Amino acid sequence: MTDEAGMQAALAFMRRLRTGLDAGLELPEALTRGAVALPRDARQTVQRVLRRLEGDYTEDEWGFDEEFTDLVEPLFGFLYDRWWRVNVEGARAVPAHGRALLVANHAGILPWDATMISMALLREHPLPRHPRFLVLDWAFDLPWISVFVRRVGGVVASPYNALRLLEQDKLVAVFPEGVRGTGKPFKERYRLRRFGRGGFVEIALRAGAPIVPVAVVGSEEIYPKLGDIPPLARLIGAPFFPVTPTFPWLGPLGVVPLPSRWRIEFCEPIETASYGPEAAGDRAVVLELSERVRETVQQALYGNLVRRGPAFV
Amino acid sequence: MSPRRVLITGVGSHLGSLLAARLEREPEFERIVGLDVRPPRMSLARTELIEADIRDPGIGDVIARAGVDTVVHDGIVRQPRPGMSERAMHDINVIGSLQLLSACEQAPTVRAIVIRGSAGIYGAEPQAPQFFGEEMTRLFPPRTRFQRDVAEIEDYFENYSRRHPGVACTMLRCQPSIGASLDTQIGRYLAQPTCPTYLGFDPRIQLLHEDDALEALVAAVRRPERGAVNVAARGTIGLARMIRLAGRPSLPIPGPLFGPVTGAARRLGVGSYSDDFRRLLRYGRAVDTARLEERLGHRPRYSTAAAVEDWVTRVRGRVRSAA
Repeated sequence: MTDEAGMQAALAFMRRLRTGLDAGLELPEALTRGAVALPRDARQTVQRVLRRLEGDYTEDEWGFDEEFTDLVEPLFGFLYDRWWRVNVEGARAVPAHGRALLVANHAGILPWDATMISMALLREHPLPRHPRFLVLDWAFDLPWISVFVRRVGGVVASPYNALRLLEQDKLVAVFPEGVRGTGKPFKERYRLRRFGRGGFVEIALRAGAPIVPVAVVGSEEIYPKLGDIPPLARLIGAPFFPVTPTFPWLGPLGVVPLPSRWRIEFCEPIETASYGPEAAGDRAVVLELSERVRETVQQALYGNLVRRGPAFV
Repeated sequence: MSPRRVLITGVGSHLGSLLAARLEREPEFERIVGLDVRPPRMSLARTELIEADIRDPGIGDVIARAGVDTVVHDGIVRQPRPGMSERAMHDINVIGSLQLLSACEQAPTVRAIVIRGSAGIYGAEPQAPQFFGEEMTRLFPPRTRFQRDVAEIEDYFENYSRRHPGVACTMLRCQPSIGASLDTQIGRYLAQPTCPTYLGFDPRIQLLHEDDALEALVAAVRRPERGAVNVAARGTIGLARMIRLAGRPSLPIPGPLFGPVTGAARRLGVGSYSDDFRRLLRYGRAVDTARLEERLGHRPRYSTAAAVEDWVTRVRGRVRSAA
């Protein structure tokens, strides 16, 4: 029934658009008139897109574009609800305001886990806000991907960026495993890699931001990485060239992630302000905190794996 | 404060002329000397004009005789003027600055030097932090000639500053300026019938409104600070949004073809882009301006978006609501 109504609305829209164009109207004008036939929310979307074409939108100094993020939310919503059927625990552990650093495990070649963490907060948190992500530098040299990542809140993974964001009291998400996490083979799934040299702890200490460990279960199964072709990776300048059951065999279709079942758990925040900013230079404190975060995430991963049960059903 | 005597190089540039005119209005500056091979853009009342090339070793005498306490170096060329070769531009920038500094060595009265340098020293990189702080000049190897030139000038200047602890040496690292009365690369770019962009890239651009460029220069002359200071408008703007605000269609060109296509366009006489500008169109760049506000006490009046909108209203006469 609703499908039929939707189809009718779309047809009416196309008819009006054609009439408008035949009458010699400019495209934006014709689109606006055509949109009258659409349901209210669709009409608003068309109008928003038209305004954007005029340059009438805002980006903050980081290039984050909230309106754009809202426009693409339905796509992520579909992945969240239908595709990966995400279960969330402990979203309230994330501070509703002020600076905080989310530290999560990283897997799945493309950073879908980052988008799902964002969705989890939007859906489950009483006062949701968009987290900013530290993204592997490599993404910023890629056409389209660089723009998309920037608009939805990604920034280059640089300590300067993380510190500045936290000082502006933003919610920042980092994946300390980095490419070591995304590029690990399928048989080592859910075993956390080394957390670098604890750079993320140094930043949290310097900014006095609480650390919220986040465990993401499900991201390891979306692209089971069976192998790697280093020469091809070097050719395109990528950190690795993955071979999965579908990629590169199915071409672009191989990029479609598998529909595993996901669980995301936000653990209790670890407070860092009491150490003072000088502690950032103390290796012992930094490494101990880093290990504590890593241990928390690892335990939460094991717990959620058991609670999730089979990966795909 | 005792009366000031100021020498301005590049007084024939738009900003140089404006600075001279501005300082003339303030009695604190009892003597203003302008140095350039070109005449100033407006009639100046009490600025003493000296026609000389800063590459000429003779300027040492000029500066010593003028007895100035502050030297403002506004003679750095950002893009070759028509008929100027890249070689000549390098000469004016590097040799000229070197010559000027050695002239200052011979002038015992000099207490402050302010150079209007460029934020181009940071380059434009995909891996760059979203905001360059003043200490981040060496994060990436220099990629273009202009970048190397600016780095060389800064090296000489730092060296000079170390050997003359009594002289306040201020290096202003300015982002590209935009303004209806300025002829800048970004203004020419937005005025074209269509703006070439890199297909799939929409970098964050940070500019500097012409009024703020002047005000920052005035602030630095009034209160010279030791060290480098980033000078830019607040915030950034996506290139795509900037082009849309200017009401221009963009022409996306795939990365590998961008050089050849714009090169061909230049031979046909439609637009030419320096290497720095090209990298800016691909990767963008923004700087941190905390030091500008804290140390020079100048808070830019225009955000980057407002600077673009102001340019659009004045150049196009198109009125849009400010963001």
